[in-house]
Amino acid sequence: MDNRTQQSADAAQTAGSTSQQANNSPISTQLEETIRAIQARLGNSPDLVVRTYDLINRSARVAAVYMTGITDRGMVEDFISHVMSFQALNDGAMLAVTPEEVHSYIKENALSIGKEKLVKDINGLLEALLSGDTVILINGLGEGVSGSTCGGEVRPVTEAGTQVAIRGSKESFTETISTNIALVRKIIKNPDLWTETMKLGDITHTDITIMYIHGVADEETIKVFKKKLQEIKVDSILESGYIEQIVEDNKYSPFPTLYNTERPDSVAGNLLDGRIAIFVDGTPFVLIAPTTFFMFFHTVEDYYQRYDISSLIRMLRFVCLIISMYGPAIFVAALNFHQEMIPTPLLINLASQREGVPFPAFVEAVMMEITFEIIREAGVRMPSPIGQTVSIIGGLVLGTAAVQAGIVSPAMVIVVSLTGISSFATPAFNMALSIRMLRFVIMGIAAFMGLYGIAIFTIMLIAHLCSLRSLGVPYMIPMGPFVPENLKDTFIRSPISFMKLRKRLQTNTGSTSASPKGASKRKSDER
Amino acid sequence: MRKEVVGPSQLLAMIILFELGTAVLVPIGLESGHAVWLSVLFALPGGVLLYLVFAHLYLQFPGQIISGYTRTILGPWLGWPVSLLFLPVLLYNGSRNLREAGDLLITASYDKTPILIINSIMIIAVMYILNKGIEVFARTAEIFLWIVIIMGCICILAVIAAGLVEYKNLFPLHMSDYVEALDSAYPSIWIFPFGELVCFTTILPQFSRSRKVKKTGMVAVIISGCLLSFTHAIEMAVLGENLYSRTTFPMFTTITLVNVANFVQRLDALVMLTLIIGVFFKLTVYCYAAVAVASDLFKVTDTRRLVIPAGVVMLFSSFVSAQNYSEHMNDGKAFLETILPVFCAVIPILLLLIHLVRRRFGLYR
Repeated sequence: MDNRTQQSADAAQTAGSTSQQANNSPISTQLEETIRAIQARLGNSPDLVVRTYDLINRSARVAAVYMTGITDRGMVEDFISHVMSFQALNDGAMLAVTPEEVHSYIKENALSIGKEKLVKDINGLLEALLSGDTVILINGLGEGVSGSTCGGEVRPVTEAGTQVAIRGSKESFTETISTNIALVRKIIKNPDLWTETMKLGDITHTDITIMYIHGVADEETIKVFKKKLQEIKVDSILESGYIEQIVEDNKYSPFPTLYNTERPDSVAGNLLDGRIAIFVDGTPFVLIAPTTFFMFFHTVEDYYQRYDISSLIRMLRFVCLIISMYGPAIFVAALNFHQEMIPTPLLINLASQREGVPFPAFVEAVMMEITFEIIREAGVRMPSPIGQTVSIIGGLVLGTAAVQAGIVSPAMVIVVSLTGISSFATPAFNMALSIRMLRFVIMGIAAFMGLYGIAIFTIMLIAHLCSLRSLGVPYMIPMGPFVPENLKDTFIRSPISFMKLRKRLQTNTGSTSASPKGASKRKSDER
Repeated sequence: MRKEVVGPSQLLAMIILFELGTAVLVPIGLESGHAVWLSVLFALPGGVLLYLVFAHLYLQFPGQIISGYTRTILGPWLGWPVSLLFLPVLLYNGSRNLREAGDLLITASYDKTPILIINSIMIIAVMYILNKGIEVFARTAEIFLWIVIIMGCICILAVIAAGLVEYKNLFPLHMSDYVEALDSAYPSIWIFPFGELVCFTTILPQFSRSRKVKKTGMVAVIISGCLLSFTHAIEMAVLGENLYSRTTFPMFTTITLVNVANFVQRLDALVMLTLIIGVFFKLTVYCYAAVAVASDLFKVTDTRRLVIPAGVVMLFSSFVSAQNYSEHMNDGKAFLETILPVFCAVIPILLLLIHLVRRRFGLYR
């Protein structure tokens, strides 16, 4: 009775498959025809499993269809045996049944597995199949019952790889969207934590879930954001980076306006601040919007450690930001234009160091910076045992040898390495990348116009930052527009008892001045 | 496109940066001798009153810039030419600031760079920021106010810590000093820098809370007046009357004298940065004012299209108008004595009076 048919290639069926791609025919009443249609549409993939059963003295013919690999084997067996169980119960009583009777019985029983759905056409059927459902088809009836048997191999929840915290939760997101949502739900146990799901990507049909706390997040922002997501027309979404690049307000800016994290506690903290999280299936990186510039320099751990330590560390990060952006530029400017700025003994020292160096300071700086970027880029993708070799060759051999060979001056090596290390002190990698890129621009300007050029460029840069918006929220909040309340948690992290108000996110685009609308009870800003 | 708005703290920052712009750097009110800081304080009430005139005019005609209500008050036949006269005044005065900055930079460390390059870099930044709109400009001002405050504090602390301040340069004050101070306060310091607030008549229509316009502006003018007085007092105390009046940029000279423990020295860079920031904001306000007046008079809907022409005119008049710095200073003196008072004080006050009379006797149709 259980004639399992592990599908093998069926050449006869492939002929019409391409023409069938687009058409969305209803499910045929003939079981065999439907199965052939499915096989044709899937190109006779070997992972499609069709199991047909003859029930109740062959009066009803039923097929269970599912894909191996993306379904949980145990759940599939469970589902099938549940749905078919009436055979054992009613074998004697029912001599002959109509397809409708079978159908209603199956539907009732399918409830036990949950998420049961009716599918009426081939496309719906395929969508269910490819999401990991098992579909039961009945001969003589133009519809099927699908039940969620989603499963397959998943990576377990492990420690965060990119955002390590000394103190705080060790969990990090995985590639499975349902696991990721559950990780956040475990932190915020509140019915107001709402999620909405959609599918994006014409080919990949990737699951996207947006999550926010109802009543905390600004309704208008959510609406705007959902509209933006719905307007996305792309073939594929392979990572949250795709969405990030599409929904960004300002595409020609070097600065990221969406934050990404793989830490559930970071997402939870941001949700509590009224932000929106965007989960994308297949990636552990969850997007957070709207963002502010200063958010990229905060970490969750700032709130776990004592406030004085956290404040100092935060200020250190801003110092690192300035060093990594302006370090070599100021050095070049001072050597080329403003020698009077350097104390005389040091100037003599520097001059004697540079005596044998054949290049202008700018060329020297660019050379060293590019070398550093090469070492870094090579180190990122190297297998870890070789990575160390690269850093030794890069750091020790290139550094010391270049100095001894008289190609660069020792002072330049110090400046460049300090800059390099400082750029890693920025907690958000995407922000660090933008800053690294701008460093070269500023260096060029410093070589051309000295400190004056740096100052003018900085004014333009800050003006640019002020013009940015992330989902309508000014990027430079709380400095421009100035929101005094938020200063408690920008450059410093004041004690938690001081932060009575929730951080004010200016979501309404109409006003720049601080309006008290977003101020609600408790505040907590975790990035 | 939504209307751009400027919040109270942003207006405050803009006014302070505008007032301090160049006035902290160049010697002002030379006639008053060592009582220059006193003349700034004397001029302050006049400056506040002048600001109130601008603010009152704005409240009478909300949503209109100066060229708009000039035409309403004087009628289109007289009002249009009068408003048109503002255009060259604003452009020229803006370009003077540019020239001063360029000259200081050349004196300081760019002696081999042509002034065209230095000025055009500044003007490019001005055009860039005005293309982003007044709101972005206001926010940038807000951020730079902090930067300027921090740098100012470092400079002043360094000067005091270096033990350079000598009170004998400031005191004693005799009766004649008071008279001299008053002399140089009106109209000289009253017009520069306080009278220059006339530019803000073009920014006030973007202000988000018209009820706070008087308070915010007054606070800003008072703060900037006090800061200005304090800075010049320090400069005077360090340099003495003789040196103060002879140097082109007293603040720059003051800071070069600083040497604390052979470690904190050569803070010239900070002064230069303050100067660049101050001039930049002043220049931008002038450029914005000129663009706003022009677009209002010539009915240009997209004001951003006028930014580049206005910037280019400013750039060229900045180094074409005078052959060297002394000529520039002489021109400035004449300009400050004759033309600027008319446009900064006389016209606005007359406008207000005429408006009051016309309203009182119902002469508006």
